[in-house]
Amino acid sequence: MKVSVIKNVLDANDRLAADNKALFDDKKVYVINLMSSPGAGKTTLVERTIVALQDQYKIGVIEGDIQDTCDADRVARLGIPVVQINTGGACHIDGNMVREALPTFDLAALDLLIVENVGNLVCPAEFKIGENEKVMILSTPEGSDKPAKYPLMFREAAVMIINKMDLMPYVDFNLEKAKKDALTINPKLKIFEVSCKTSGGLTGWIEWLSAQITTYKKS
Amino acid sequence: MHEFSLIRSMLDIVEDYAAKHGFEHVNAIRLSFGRLSCIEPKSLEFGFKIQSEGTKAEGATLEFDIHPVVVYCLDCEKEFHADHWCDACPTCKGENVMLNGGMEELKIVSLDVI
Repeated sequence: MKVSVIKNVLDANDRLAADNKALFDDKKVYVINLMSSPGAGKTTLVERTIVALQDQYKIGVIEGDIQDTCDADRVARLGIPVVQINTGGACHIDGNMVREALPTFDLAALDLLIVENVGNLVCPAEFKIGENEKVMILSTPEGSDKPAKYPLMFREAAVMIINKMDLMPYVDFNLEKAKKDALTINPKLKIFEVSCKTSGGLTGWIEWLSAQITTYKKS
Repeated sequence: MHEFSLIRSMLDIVEDYAAKHGFEHVNAIRLSFGRLSCIEPKSLEFGFKIQSEGTKAEGATLEFDIHPVVVYCLDCEKEFHADHWCDACPTCKGENVMLNGGMEELKIVSLDVI
């Protein structure tokens, strides 16, 4: 006997993510899901973003790592509420992990929640967590072939931050090729070229994020 | 690694449908996904064999409908299919192309049950 199903395998996760989103919408918390390879600069971008926006917005952070709390410790030093999720081997954060982390926060007092996903260009792209936008970082030493190799990540993201632009003279990164391939995969992708180390180019990202939060709060 | 979560979700869906339709065993699960959706059939089959032990889907065959990569050339105004990502049109060799398909999420299409 054949039973017709036609159901996304990740349907259960999608429903949990939708529940999270409803909660965030109710409390007006703008949520970004930050993804990249390990070492691309996610935590440094989180730190820079906090320093730039913490006078304007109340910010919370969820840090996802397979183990350890060093990223959460870095964020906590900035006086920001932070929860470390240790995925215990899982290669991504899912909707349920975020839901379990939420009671730690006073959501009504938050404007922006940054979820730093596990460093990985494959799996995090598949699992929704209830975010407003997925933001991904590609750093120049990784090489300009990454959009072509990991298209799903670039398709899912609303923003691509090209980090470590200060290393361009030392690495073989074809900036135009990376941007062109990423835009072929996702024509709506918003691209910022930055160096989180020197803070070069970060203004564009900060202004974009700030405008997104303002628009969301008014909606 | 994501196979573990995907297979767990597949087995949950099988249990839901078994409760609804009252079947005892699954012979085959037909799945569909896009070529570029980061699903590797061999890894999925390997994980499924282990994770499905003791469930209604133990020993079930996995069947795959894999959607091709669909690229549209803005210059030729034509669509073409490929089995991997490509950034140029095979006809005009131009790079003025757009990705139109191949990212479809993993879905269960149907279950063959007894």
